Amino acid sequence: MTKLNTKPITVWLTPSGPNPWKVVLILEELQVPYVIESFRFNDVKLKPYTDICPNGRVPAIVDPNTNLTLWESGAIIQYLEEVYDTDKKLTYESLNKRQLLNQYLHFQMSGQGPYFGQAGWFNVLHHERIPSAIERYNDQVKRFLEVLNTCLEGKAWLVGDKCTFADLSFVPWNCRLDMLLQTPPGEDPLAKYPNVQAWHHRMVDRPSWKRCMEVRDKLMDDQGLMPNGMPKGINNIQEYEAEIAREAAEKGKE
Amino acid sequence: MSQPDITLYTCQTPNGIKISIALEELGLPYKVEKIDISKNTQKEPWFLEINPNGRIPALTDTFSDGQKIRLFESGGILTYLAEQYDKDYKISYPKGTREYYEMTNWLYFQNAGVGPMQGQANHFVRYAPERIEYGMTRYTNETRRLYGVLDKHLASSKSGYLVGDHISLADISHWGWVAAAGWAGVDIEEFPHLKAWEERMAAREGVEKGRHVPSPHTIKERLKDQKTMEEDAAQARQWIMQGMKADAKH
Repeated sequence: MTKLNTKPITVWLTPSGPNPWKVVLILEELQVPYVIESFRFNDVKLKPYTDICPNGRVPAIVDPNTNLTLWESGAIIQYLEEVYDTDKKLTYESLNKRQLLNQYLHFQMSGQGPYFGQAGWFNVLHHERIPSAIERYNDQVKRFLEVLNTCLEGKAWLVGDKCTFADLSFVPWNCRLDMLLQTPPGEDPLAKYPNVQAWHHRMVDRPSWKRCMEVRDKLMDDQGLMPNGMPKGINNIQEYEAEIAREAAEKGKE
Repeated sequence: MSQPDITLYTCQTPNGIKISIALEELGLPYKVEKIDISKNTQKEPWFLEINPNGRIPALTDTFSDGQKIRLFESGGILTYLAEQYDKDYKISYPKGTREYYEMTNWLYFQNAGVGPMQGQANHFVRYAPERIEYGMTRYTNETRRLYGVLDKHLASSKSGYLVGDHISLADISHWGWVAAAGWAGVDIEEFPHLKAWEERMAAREGVEKGRHVPSPHTIKERLKDQKTMEEDAAQARQWIMQGMKADAKH
């Protein structure tokens, strides 16, 4: 439960990427007040954002209650859980269970995010078709989902008997699977992984995630972004990268 | 503090030695089970019981409730060791402090950024059966970018470590990767602050002991010899490609 005098946490994000929504989802679940500082992907590696996150990646938060600036979505989730989840809604008391939650959060962070991201790059964004790279990352995505399916065998949730921050951390990237793998319309990319599929559906039906997606739609619209994250009128990643480079050069001149 | 009953399942890789270095820095007793990844031991059923993901490192311990705990993911294991056994904050910081959260921040930066991207650079530079210029450049450049972030951060560090006034999990998780920069086609000379940090870390007794688990850490010497390096890569390429094929069949 949040204390009455909690000041809103600022979440810095570009709306298109999956990672910021892991953090917003936790804030929604815990009912912690927050404000979103939505900015353009073009500015992610420029000041003032790099003063907040030197890695030039989203999300980052600034918490005025503790005067802490933090980046890396996994670290932010752990922080929010420790400071704001006083009722243990999405976590547990027991050290044993907390370590297992932490393990799965790291599995999301080092397994799902990087490999899904590279699969998306070579399947969708990269201009040249490189079959061996596509195969490598598609196989890794499949392998990852198989492992997750095994972890969920006979269980509704990854750890214990309730939905936790570890479960929720997998939602944003799994929501992107159809796009990353270019799944034909009407097909569910999770169909081969029934445990993952059922678990994923239980989570996307939560009001917190629906709210995240409403906010995302609005922020995407504010910036004139298409569902693939690129501005309207830009046809592919090369055009987008050229546009970003041109803008950065202009800003350099100022 | 409960009595440790730790078994570390590992092999000589940057992720494996994170854990042995942490254990040595903490001065904890532990048993070592060497996993032969060139024989795919990490995919055998007994090991999958410990880590369903079939990767090293993994660790078992007798937990405070008397039951066995099985852990995987190097970042998860490091956090466990700090919470369970680092009561004097030798390699971590007290929960709730600014340093604690900043340490977690850099730990994730390693696990989600440096590790995966440098790992992909290794793949395209050393192991891929065909030479894909684009794959090599993409991941080597991203690794260099991440090293630049570390280098800039270390330039302004008063202690010479990533967070606070002493070594922490943040440093331990990075060291094995940075020491192997050349394997990914990255020249450490480009990053003077990071290079100095790597040497500062290497001079520590705990790092020196931990890096040779379960077998000698020789990457730094091997990187000086182009020919041995090519031979090592050719050998590793073979079993890595076999492993990838086996994974794809499932």
